[in-house]
Amino acid sequence: MNPHSTMDRRELLKRVAFLMGGAISGPAVLGVLQGCSAKKPSVEWTPAFLTAAQAAVVAEIAEIIIPRTDTPGAKDVGVPQFIDTMLKVTYPKKDQDRYLTGLTQFEERAQPAHGKPFMELEPAQQRELVRELHDAEIRAAGENELDDSRENRPFILMTKELTMLGFFTSEVGATQVLQYLAVPGTFRGCLPLSEAGNGKTWATEMSQAF
Amino acid sequence: MNDNTYDAIVVGTGVSGGWAAKELTEKGLKTLVLERGRDVRHGEYPTATTDPWQFEYGGRPTQQDLERQGVQARTGYTITQASKHWFVDDIDNPYTEIKRFDWMRGYHVGGRSLMWARQSYRLSQIDLEANAKDGHGVDWPIRYEDLAPWYDHVESFIGVSGQAEGLLQLPDGKFQRPMEMSCVETHLRQVLEEKFGRCLTIGRVANMTELLPHSPQRGTCQNRNQCIRGCPYGAYFSSNSSTLPAAEKTGNMTLRPNSIVHEVIFDEKSNRATGVRVIDAQTNQQLEFFGKIIFLCASTFGSTFIMMNSASGRFPNGFGNDSGELGCNIMDHHLAAGASADVEGFEDRYYHGRRPTGIYIPRFRNIGKDSRDYVRGFGYQGRATRLGWTDLLKEEALGAELKSRAAQPGAWHMSIGAFGEMLPYHQNRVTLDRTRRDKWGLPVLAFDAELQDNEYRMRKDMVSDAVEMLEAAGYKNVQARDEKIGVGLGIHEMGTARMGKDPKSSVLNAWNQVHACKNVFVTDGSCMASSGCVNPSLTYMALTARAANHAVEELKRLNL
Repeated sequence: MNPHSTMDRRELLKRVAFLMGGAISGPAVLGVLQGCSAKKPSVEWTPAFLTAAQAAVVAEIAEIIIPRTDTPGAKDVGVPQFIDTMLKVTYPKKDQDRYLTGLTQFEERAQPAHGKPFMELEPAQQRELVRELHDAEIRAAGENELDDSRENRPFILMTKELTMLGFFTSEVGATQVLQYLAVPGTFRGCLPLSEAGNGKTWATEMSQAF
Repeated sequence: MNDNTYDAIVVGTGVSGGWAAKELTEKGLKTLVLERGRDVRHGEYPTATTDPWQFEYGGRPTQQDLERQGVQARTGYTITQASKHWFVDDIDNPYTEIKRFDWMRGYHVGGRSLMWARQSYRLSQIDLEANAKDGHGVDWPIRYEDLAPWYDHVESFIGVSGQAEGLLQLPDGKFQRPMEMSCVETHLRQVLEEKFGRCLTIGRVANMTELLPHSPQRGTCQNRNQCIRGCPYGAYFSSNSSTLPAAEKTGNMTLRPNSIVHEVIFDEKSNRATGVRVIDAQTNQQLEFFGKIIFLCASTFGSTFIMMNSASGRFPNGFGNDSGELGCNIMDHHLAAGASADVEGFEDRYYHGRRPTGIYIPRFRNIGKDSRDYVRGFGYQGRATRLGWTDLLKEEALGAELKSRAAQPGAWHMSIGAFGEMLPYHQNRVTLDRTRRDKWGLPVLAFDAELQDNEYRMRKDMVSDAVEMLEAAGYKNVQARDEKIGVGLGIHEMGTARMGKDPKSSVLNAWNQVHACKNVFVTDGSCMASSGCVNPSLTYMALTARAANHAVEELKRLNL
């Protein structure tokens, strides 16, 4: 094997980006690396908390939760990177561990169901797996309201929470999917929906409500 | 006389200190204003115009933030990337909790006037007579007519928007144009009027809806509802935007930030306080400043700490503490009880802008012929909103459906939560804990306070009345709320140096003067003899302006 193949992939990405003066785009870096990297799922950025393989799975799930439609999706606005940072910086170890355990368990669901790892499934199969686990956890949370706090949130709902937080507080989420006015000027309490801006939900900082 | 001598010393720059500074300097006194925290000039609000996507971490606190500010984070809404810099570092500023106590505060010029919720209500004659009538605490030495002109004075200067309602239990004030109610709030107002004879009014809030000619540096509210970050328009009242610029304009104010007052200097021969001892927060240098009169406006527990820490031969149990009441009678408003519900029938209606206040349902219990198995009462604050994207977390929405549903305004939701009056109990107290020291080597405070039977009885009504009103309005899925809380989370702490007629049972007289040392005035929340059920800051301002006026008159009469 080429000795490069044992080099940590993140190191490689960083090194290539450095050598090329940072002028190179993410996908181009990936292209450069295709030749010397084993065919492992990864992402085109350097995670700080997750492994590259884990980040790839989380990125797919985030995109399934909020996909690109006629407006950009989770990956487009950097939600996977956001989730990685949030896990590293804002959660205590207990929650980090619960997340990683849940992520491993999630990946293990793919194999018996389809005989392949999650990243090798067809998009429809991936969506199905996410949907199944998501709906089961939503029902479980509904039945057990006492245990419905952020402290106990399971992997898939943590991923949904962070995807929504990252997306709807992004400029794209707040201004293209929702509507946002930095300085509303007036307050009008009872307008026809069509006259309240463009009638979409106002983007306000509600992240603490999570 | 030396460079450290002034006519007056004001300790603290929050709502009370700012008012003391303004009134005393405008009346010609050379005034030293001491603030323990850093300087903040009006406009120096680093996050005031930050858009949501410019905050790191979705605005949430990091684990590192929570290590430094874990106690301040107990509110759930203060330690964020938008406002954490206005709250103290809990490691540098520890305190002891004999029982859980949530002490939320910020050490900087402006104090909590920068982060307050701006709700501005008057105490009523009912509130000021309550102690005398039901025998709890000691009688207030003043009545509503003593305060009314000072409420007028304060409201006219700071700008309070609100609606006059003609209620005995919630006197009207000098209001600017009220903010609009939403369709659902208007609906509930009609229901409460028709079915209960109760009032629901728009929150009376110190956010300007009209310009104030005397404060050209301030503009009207832009409905951003980001007040807690500091307002670049100066649209809500803070010391920074309002009273301190007025004091500065006189040329009579010397403002010294980073000055931790820890002791009142008492002269036994003249039976007067001559000045204060200060630690410079940055250099740890010990300093003394002198003045003819001293206004302690360091916040309820800040002023109480200074007095407790000022023991002397004359006052072995703390400055001015002949009564033994210093540190006792801690009150707060007890909250986190109420109800919320979904509202149908207004789906084609929405609002524009982020109104910086909710609605208010004034007290209706134990008023007139109403009589309950507890004394005093409560009011509700609330708001109707359409739910946003956060609520989809718990719904089976994913993918393109999640995106499109998030863009559609959600169900109308009405929520009301009560603020209940807490009685003054001698055993609810704060003491000095000399076994622990803060960053500057000063002893810390130890809190031992809890709700009692009267509050718990009241809480039953706070919940059931809320449920009853929302159900009467025909709202759906009415959810009761009653969270177990300690004391302090109302952030309305008061009562630890109470006013009263009798020096044997109170610390301050009818003019907020220390009974036993008349040239010291204490005009923050510590002076309160009862708590009422309304947000207290407006009362602190009125009491401060009244006391400052009295102080200057007494100086002229050579009585101080």
